Amino acid sequence: MITIQQAQVGYQTTLIDIAELVLPAGQIYALIGRNGSGKSTLLQTLIGQLPLRAGSMSLGPYALTELQSNAALRARQVSFVASMFTGVEALTLHAYVSLGRVPHLGAFGRLQATDLQFVDKVLQALNLSDLAQKDTRKLSDGERQLASLARAIVQDTPLMVLDEPASFLDYFNRELLLDQLLHWVQQDTARTAVFSSHDIDLCLQIGIPMLVLHQHKLTLLTKPTKQEVMALL
Amino acid sequence: MMQRSIQLLLGTGIVLLLLTWVHLFVLQPAQGANSSMIFWEFQVPRLLSALLAGAGLSLSGLLMQNLFQNPMAGPYVLGINSGASLFISLLILGAAPSFLNEFSYVSAAMTGAFLAASFMFVVSKRVQNIQSLLVIGLMFASFTGAIESVLQSFAAPEQVKQLFIWNMGSLQQMSAAQAPWLGAIIVFGIVATLFLVKGLNALVLGDAQAFQLGVKVKQLKIVILFVTALLAGSITAYCGPIAFVGLAIPNLSRALLKTQDHFLLILFSVLAGSCFLVAIDVLILLLDPWLSIPVNVLTAVIGAPYVAYLMLRQR
Repeated sequence: MITIQQAQVGYQTTLIDIAELVLPAGQIYALIGRNGSGKSTLLQTLIGQLPLRAGSMSLGPYALTELQSNAALRARQVSFVASMFTGVEALTLHAYVSLGRVPHLGAFGRLQATDLQFVDKVLQALNLSDLAQKDTRKLSDGERQLASLARAIVQDTPLMVLDEPASFLDYFNRELLLDQLLHWVQQDTARTAVFSSHDIDLCLQIGIPMLVLHQHKLTLLTKPTKQEVMALL
Repeated sequence: MMQRSIQLLLGTGIVLLLLTWVHLFVLQPAQGANSSMIFWEFQVPRLLSALLAGAGLSLSGLLMQNLFQNPMAGPYVLGINSGASLFISLLILGAAPSFLNEFSYVSAAMTGAFLAASFMFVVSKRVQNIQSLLVIGLMFASFTGAIESVLQSFAAPEQVKQLFIWNMGSLQQMSAAQAPWLGAIIVFGIVATLFLVKGLNALVLGDAQAFQLGVKVKQLKIVILFVTALLAGSITAYCGPIAFVGLAIPNLSRALLKTQDHFLLILFSVLAGSCFLVAIDVLILLLDPWLSIPVNVLTAVIGAPYVAYLMLRQR
């Protein structure tokens, strides 16, 4: 669950003003807004990269300020998927996904048997097992993005934040990614996912709640229709 | 995957033992009455120089490549050695002879290395590509070289000679008494780096993702800078600037192990770096009857083409 009160979001100037907003857990929220409306800035705030200019926010039982000062705690509460991962030479898909376990490992970063089992299970669920030993540079965009989702799942946090995760994907991979994300949220009622998107139609089609950013305001539409969304944008 | 890495580690270890044996007993067999003294005062320190410098330089290269998120980074190409050189020159030329001891040498080199590394790190934030950074590293090196030349024109001939020899890079400068000091510093560097493995692994994905995985990125980077300067600085102080080991060996390690797991990369780079410099010194010993080659010449002959090949492959 995400609770926001009297919050001002932005870098040097306030981009978004949020009087009060509660996002119950167990849902995926699609963050919709025009270019430059501050979607990325809001996401940066959610993942603890950017402090609030004023007001307060809490993720589950933790205040945002607490998560910002405690790196280890934050990494067990929030995971993040960027819009694009270009791959790293000599880093296999398996090794990449395994990095999601970093917050749960000791100083030497050794994976235990339970970590490896978890990674294998997630790879299997996302149909990535056959690609496990492939270099991340040599994967397709779709495969890499699914791998990023797998890495975030493996991180095992109650909140997952995704910044336009599907923008470089074709129709089928987009569906696959969103399906898997839905599946992840439905597995545990304490889980919440927030992702930004430009694909309003797809979000309407799967019927998830929307957070609409418009004129420095954030509006939650729990059962959005196209007219409602368009009226706001 | 893991098995292959273990085989490579074991293989390199065996090669290292063989090279060590050849270096100590085959190429420099015991002769005459002073053989024991020569063995402990000259041969062993020389071997230790090669072992420690190889290990430390390639480890500092690995750390820099991680810090700069750039496989072409290394202590020599980015001017870290030059920073150490400059400070050593300042010390040799400027300080009273009574002040020239272990401690002042190493701290001068480390200070220079740390300042150069920090300078390059700040610069790297402002340039976007590898090529520019390398050119700035070169400019930095030639700038410090120029200052050294100016300083030398004020120096006594004896001091100039001392500097010239030191600048050639040599595995024969370290005395038996100095060996434990360098040994302790390098071992400390290796152990300290092993404790950074988790952060180093995450940093491969870039600052933002490392942050998201709970890594204290800023702190980690300062520690990396410090350990790099400790390693590269102390080696430069004892052996002079040795080129290309720090750049070439970590790249070779990644290519052979096909991994970004820094636990394995650290172990392998350390072993392979030692192997490489001992092999170079074996070659120097072999050629010794006919010509004496400074260690820097040989590392450049082998290292420079390999680095050029890496550059070409990057494109």
